[in-house]
Amino acid sequence: MAYIEFRNVVKEYKMGEIIIKALDKTNFTIEKGELVVIVGPSGAGKTTALNILGGMDNVTSGIVLVDGREVSKLKNKELIKYRREDIGFVFQFYNLVQNLTAKENVELATQICKDALNPDEILEKVGLKDRKNNFPSQLSGGEQQRVAIARAIAKNPKLLLCDEPTGALDYKTGKQILKLLQNTARKENMTVLIITHNSAIAPMADKVIHFKNGTAESVEINKNPVNIDEIEW
Amino acid sequence: MKKALFKDSIKEIKNTYKRFISILLMAFLGVGFFAGVRATSPDMLDTIDIYYKNQNMYDIQIISTLGLTIDDLNSIKKIDGVLETYGSYSTDEVIIDNNSEHVIKIMSIEEINKPILKEGRMPSEPNECVVESKMLSGLGKNIGDEIQLKENDESLLSQNKLKIVGIVESPIYISMQRGNTSLGAGSINYYTYVPKESFNSDLYTEIYIKVKDASKYETSTDRYENLVENVKNNIDNIKEERQKIRYDDLIDTAEKELEKAQNEFNEEKKSAEEQIAEAEKKINDAKKEVEENENKINNGEVQANKEFANAEKLIKQGKEEIYSNEKLYDENKEKAEEEINKYENTKQELTNNLNTINTGIEQIDIKYNEIQLALSNPQLSEEQKNQLENTAGLLEKQKSGLEQNKNEIENGIEEINNGISSAKEQLKLAEKQIENAKIELKEQEQNLEKEKSRTYSELENGKKEIEEAKLEIQKGEEELNINKQEFEKQITEAEEKLNNAKEQISEIESPTWYILDRYGNTGYNSFIQDVHSIENIGKVFPIVFFVIATLISLTSMTRMVEEQRGQIGTLKALGYNRMQIASKYIIYSAVACIIGGILGMCVGFMLIPKVIWMMYEMMYTITDIHLKFNTYYALFGLGVACICIVGATAYSTNNILKYEPATLMRPRAPKIGKRVILEKIPFIWNKLSFSHKVTVRNIFRYKKRFLMTIIGILGCTALIVAGFGLKNSIESLLPKQYGKVFKYNMQVSLKNGVDVNSFLEKVRNNEKIKNITETNISAGELTNKDSTEEIQIIVPKNADEIKNSINIIDLKTNESVELLDDGIYVTDKVAELLEISEGDIITIKNSDDIEKQVKVNKIVENYVSHYVYMTRNTYEKLFEDNYSTNIIYINTHQMEENDEENLAKEIINYSEVSGVILTSTVRNAMNDTLKSLNYVVVVLIVSAGLLAFVVLYNLSNVNISERIRELATIKVLGFYDKEVYSYITRETILLTIIGIILGLVAGYFLNSFIISTCEINMLRFAKIINPESYVYGVLITFGFATIVNIFTYFALKKINMIESLKSVE
Repeated sequence: MAYIEFRNVVKEYKMGEIIIKALDKTNFTIEKGELVVIVGPSGAGKTTALNILGGMDNVTSGIVLVDGREVSKLKNKELIKYRREDIGFVFQFYNLVQNLTAKENVELATQICKDALNPDEILEKVGLKDRKNNFPSQLSGGEQQRVAIARAIAKNPKLLLCDEPTGALDYKTGKQILKLLQNTARKENMTVLIITHNSAIAPMADKVIHFKNGTAESVEINKNPVNIDEIEW
Repeated sequence: MKKALFKDSIKEIKNTYKRFISILLMAFLGVGFFAGVRATSPDMLDTIDIYYKNQNMYDIQIISTLGLTIDDLNSIKKIDGVLETYGSYSTDEVIIDNNSEHVIKIMSIEEINKPILKEGRMPSEPNECVVESKMLSGLGKNIGDEIQLKENDESLLSQNKLKIVGIVESPIYISMQRGNTSLGAGSINYYTYVPKESFNSDLYTEIYIKVKDASKYETSTDRYENLVENVKNNIDNIKEERQKIRYDDLIDTAEKELEKAQNEFNEEKKSAEEQIAEAEKKINDAKKEVEENENKINNGEVQANKEFANAEKLIKQGKEEIYSNEKLYDENKEKAEEEINKYENTKQELTNNLNTINTGIEQIDIKYNEIQLALSNPQLSEEQKNQLENTAGLLEKQKSGLEQNKNEIENGIEEINNGISSAKEQLKLAEKQIENAKIELKEQEQNLEKEKSRTYSELENGKKEIEEAKLEIQKGEEELNINKQEFEKQITEAEEKLNNAKEQISEIESPTWYILDRYGNTGYNSFIQDVHSIENIGKVFPIVFFVIATLISLTSMTRMVEEQRGQIGTLKALGYNRMQIASKYIIYSAVACIIGGILGMCVGFMLIPKVIWMMYEMMYTITDIHLKFNTYYALFGLGVACICIVGATAYSTNNILKYEPATLMRPRAPKIGKRVILEKIPFIWNKLSFSHKVTVRNIFRYKKRFLMTIIGILGCTALIVAGFGLKNSIESLLPKQYGKVFKYNMQVSLKNGVDVNSFLEKVRNNEKIKNITETNISAGELTNKDSTEEIQIIVPKNADEIKNSINIIDLKTNESVELLDDGIYVTDKVAELLEISEGDIITIKNSDDIEKQVKVNKIVENYVSHYVYMTRNTYEKLFEDNYSTNIIYINTHQMEENDEENLAKEIINYSEVSGVILTSTVRNAMNDTLKSLNYVVVVLIVSAGLLAFVVLYNLSNVNISERIRELATIKVLGFYDKEVYSYITRETILLTIIGIILGLVAGYFLNSFIISTCEINMLRFAKIINPESYVYGVLITFGFATIVNIFTYFALKKINMIESLKSVE
């Protein structure tokens, strides 16, 4: 059984009188420890899928299973608990708390987790050992995203979900971030999902899910993922 | 283009209706509260003005100590500026009901100060009256019942029984106070109206005046007061003259009356004396007469006795005479009978002789007849014849001889017969005489007896009569004596009366006119004072509201502009100029402000005066506030609100518009995180938990909001604390004045020139009374630095006695002070008003208008009205006047209020007393007035709470909206709802705590400020805030904060993570 499974997941939004189907019977599976890249054009439903997987949104119909648990059935409080313990989320715009230093941003996550990792170690891992007492505004975009990733993985989650993590970053920095994610997935054996509209980075993944018109149109498994450093775009 | 922008503005309103409403609400609250509170005092003024105009309330009232005449009325009528004058009557009377006495004020119904009929009908007969409703409930009477007035010789009324025919409200008594009187327990309980005809007086009690043109202006406005003041001055000008006329008149009449009385007295005395003299004379005459009569009777008795004795003697003599006569008679009778017998014998002899003669005669006659016959024979010769004739002649001779004898004998016989018969007759006569004498004597005896008994009974009667007359005389004398005594008494009484009257005339004081305006009316005065205190409060509080409303709008609009920076950037990039872009936000806020403001003024004008009025309605009888749309305050409030809110919008828009479009289209550089000072103190910082560190950082990060929240909370707490503090101050006023400072239970005022000692003796003997203090209290004025205040000068007879009744406390040391000579002691409020400090030399004027310079020894504690204390020596030296006691303070032993009233009644009945004022009565009356301020306090507290709520809610919303990404992020991180809530509320709570702490401090100062702003001239509010007021402030603020936090909790729960995280606007 797959570690993560989307089974006929439908998500509809009501916009006034019009019903928009963000996800239409989406099906895919992800194995534990896989680095998955979800690609697709804007409005294809990839963010919706990620949100549902991250416990931030619920499904209209269908089943979402994570580690044998039916996430799609969880009530509000369980959903929070799921987010709290199982999910690490990396946002496009980092979403750091401006008023907190890098380390404190990480601590914001670790203090609510049972088996959280040491913030200092994590920050060292993401290469911010010297900047951990800086405020986000004193950090570059890449550094901020590193803090965000550190914050996500410090919780020691089952899943690391990244929504366009490089969207706001320049090429070089973006690459460094992707590298960090790839390393994390490999070294920590963490299941990592990255949403991107940049299909060029697909080769770095173990699995690539193509989204189109609200469904996972195709899933290709990459037997030999390429190191991110080797990818150019 | 502009149209598009306008549409955009409208759409914006639709989209962000919550924000719109919150700005609208701020404008609503600000304008509403401002307009409402500000309009209340004009509305109240308007109300009383209309009320007074409807009831034709007087502008000026004149009362005189000696009543007012029609001449007074007419001369006032002529004064410039006087429109109309009305003479009216009033009197205080006592009614007895169920053994309790009530004093009522009875007034005549006039065209001025018309009472309003509430129930029943107006009286039409002199024995009918209309009363206030409180009186019916107080006495348990109904319309149709009668009230019985206590006998009163000096009553001005023609009736002493009045039938209640209706219920009225008097414009004279709009408050609960009914004033003081010299009757009963010293205060008037109820008022009553009767028709003018019920009064039986040729003097008006008061004259009411309507001032020309005064009705064109609103009462208590400067223009109105100037008009009235002018006329008052005009009246003041004729006052002296009228007073003098009245005085002279009075003296004149009194003297005339006295003269008349004196004459009458004299006449009556004279006539009485005459009567007495006459009576005395009569009695004396009667006495004399009685005496005479007595003498007469006595004499008569003696005479009678004598006479009777004589008579008896005479009778006795008569009897003896008769006896001797009888004896004589008997002797004579024998003699006479012997004689008679002799005579009888002689007679016999004579008769025998006679017979012989007769025979002889007969023979002769026979011979003679034979001769005759023979002669007759014609044959007979002549010698025969002659012979015969001779013989016949001889015969005739013989016969005549015989005849002669016979005659002699017959005469003898007859003589004897005569003798016998005369003897017999004489005997008979004698016998008869004796018989007669006897009879006569007997008659006389009988008569005498009769006479005797008659005389004696007459005498008896006479004596009796005399006795009776004597008794009568005695009675008469006694009566006369009584009458004399009575007369003496009456005379002395009458003389005394006359003397009294004389004395009274000499004591007639010149009448004093009191020219009063409407402020002379207690109800009006306190009403206007209330209006002014509301006005003062209205000056302070709305400012707080405006400031906060402005700050809130500023935050809200800044946030809004901030949220739309992208759009602003786009518009700017599209080539809209700053004005055009800004116009959207200005329109937005202006619309909110105008709608909110208009709604606010509508509700404010309607609601707030009404609510405040509702409180005052309990204090005053005027019904229904006259609400009006106060254009000035409406525009002013709206204008201020617009300036504040639209200004804030323009300010924040302008702040953003100065950036280049590119900068604007990029997400706003988030606020830079900073280390806070606290972090530099590791020893505190390190001890803080992570979440607390976050809280501390956040607080310092959002400085504006931090300030706003604190100001909001501070304002709220301060208002509540100040409100409760005001209440505390108000409530503490009376215990302080009538507990701490004034310790006496009653104040007794004495009549002029009475014997104080005789009164004191009576009072000292009363065991209910603990101690007494003799004082002289008079009105006066203090002047310092060109301002003057009216004061009362209290001069105790003995400086060391005053402390029993009044605690004179040095304001500086808070200790009781002894009064010392050569300086005065001024109460604090007047000292403050006149800027007097210890040691100053100020001017003091006494009731005789004598002005003197005097040194201020000490400023002393006081709360109600103004006093100056000084020793007797100081007073006498200063004004060169003699001290005389006119007021006596009495401290009683602990007693019930009822007993106190009874004691007051007892005291007021002493002839020396002109009035008694119970401290408890004054206190209760003041308490009622002050209570009305409490209601204002309640309004304040409620408004403050409302404000706090709006502020907190708004800030909380801004806070959430400003930090929505942060909140969404921590939600995504898996914070439970409670954790999210405390993440954000911890700050709020901390800020609330800070705000409350500062608010408690600010409340203290605000309280002082409010108290000094709205303090009434005559009152010094103690700047007191009870600890519980602080507690209330904390609790109420926390209560509102909690409610807001509950709202926040749900708002936080509703935050949509996905929407918030999508992208930066």
